[in-house]
Amino acid sequence: MASALSLVRSAQTTQSSELAPRELAGEAALVDRARRGDVDAFERLYQLHAGRVYALCLRLAGEPVEARELMQDTFVHAWEALPRFRGESSLTTWLHRIAVNALLERRRRDKRRSARVSLVDDEDDAESGSIASGFVAPADVATAIDLERAIAALPPGVRRAFVLHEVEGYTHEEVAGMTGLATGTLRAQLHRARQLLIRALSL
Amino acid sequence: MNEHQSSDERLDELTAALPREVAPPPELWTAIRAELAERSSNARRWDRWRLAAAGLLIAASSSLLTVVALRSREHARAVAVASTAPASPAAVNVEPQLPARLASAEQGYLRSTVALRRKLDERRDSLAPSTVATVERSLRIADSAIAEARSALERDPSNTVLAALFTSNYERKIDVLRRATELAPRT
Repeated sequence: MASALSLVRSAQTTQSSELAPRELAGEAALVDRARRGDVDAFERLYQLHAGRVYALCLRLAGEPVEARELMQDTFVHAWEALPRFRGESSLTTWLHRIAVNALLERRRRDKRRSARVSLVDDEDDAESGSIASGFVAPADVATAIDLERAIAALPPGVRRAFVLHEVEGYTHEEVAGMTGLATGTLRAQLHRARQLLIRALSL
Repeated sequence: MNEHQSSDERLDELTAALPREVAPPPELWTAIRAELAERSSNARRWDRWRLAAAGLLIAASSSLLTVVALRSREHARAVAVASTAPASPAAVNVEPQLPARLASAEQGYLRSTVALRRKLDERRDSLAPSTVATVERSLRIADSAIAEARSALERDPSNTVLAALFTSNYERKIDVLRRATELAPRT
């Protein structure tokens, strides 16, 4: 986790994905070129969106090695799926959906991976309602770094819900659509995430 | 405002302050681009797979020959030095090691090969036995070439040719594994 935090600490913002109309038109042209197999255009799209997508991957994965793999999966899948991108959502949202799908697929495909996560999965931890043992509350609680660490220490499903809704700002319905959760379950996970974070950060 | 509300507000405040963007590792695009290049050739995957396997055989053989030649040269040089200088007890006890840069690279290669190997093992039953045999043969050759290059490098860590052979053999092994994991069922 220390390396994950160091990555966050050294985070440098890349180009904003809040694109102006002219930039959006430019992005649409890049998407068209990339659909026709222009890898240079796709690289430009990567440069435009990598910062937002990697931030999501890092927070969803909770550690940098899997975040890197998830990021690679996301952009490879995006390249293959680009001909089917209709522009009904922003490209960032579309990429975020792919990242979430890639994460869920990884979880399904390799259950052993969950053993490497520092905490038990939320489905197995429904009764405990606590940050797992091993989580050490930082001394200085009022920093974003501490929050990053606390988010990374959340159970995976709870973390996913919190990151998508509270950090990325997706609505309950959007998160439910991305993750396949019922909105009631999602609300419960969000409530639990907030409880765990407040406790972990001694807020 | 009660205590619970202020905790929630504080959490919201901290959450809103989180960076929206985090720069990914700089080399990540290179890895993605390499994977895209491989996947774009899926239509000719089988032909290219056979070419890759054949290429690996040739490359590995070539690597082995080169390594053997280099080792012979190093051995001759060592004999010449030994015949003109007294042996140093400290030098005798030094454990051969890879240079740190290569040892680090090897860790990365090993992580990739383990992950790909696991993926290959998961779908082994869906592949034709002859394909599996070809893959395994290629991997054995790759491992042998890696071991040879590694051994030579431990004796001559500053040899840049050996270093290049060492890394290229790992890359070829990863290439074989990756292609094998992408083969269509029963090919």
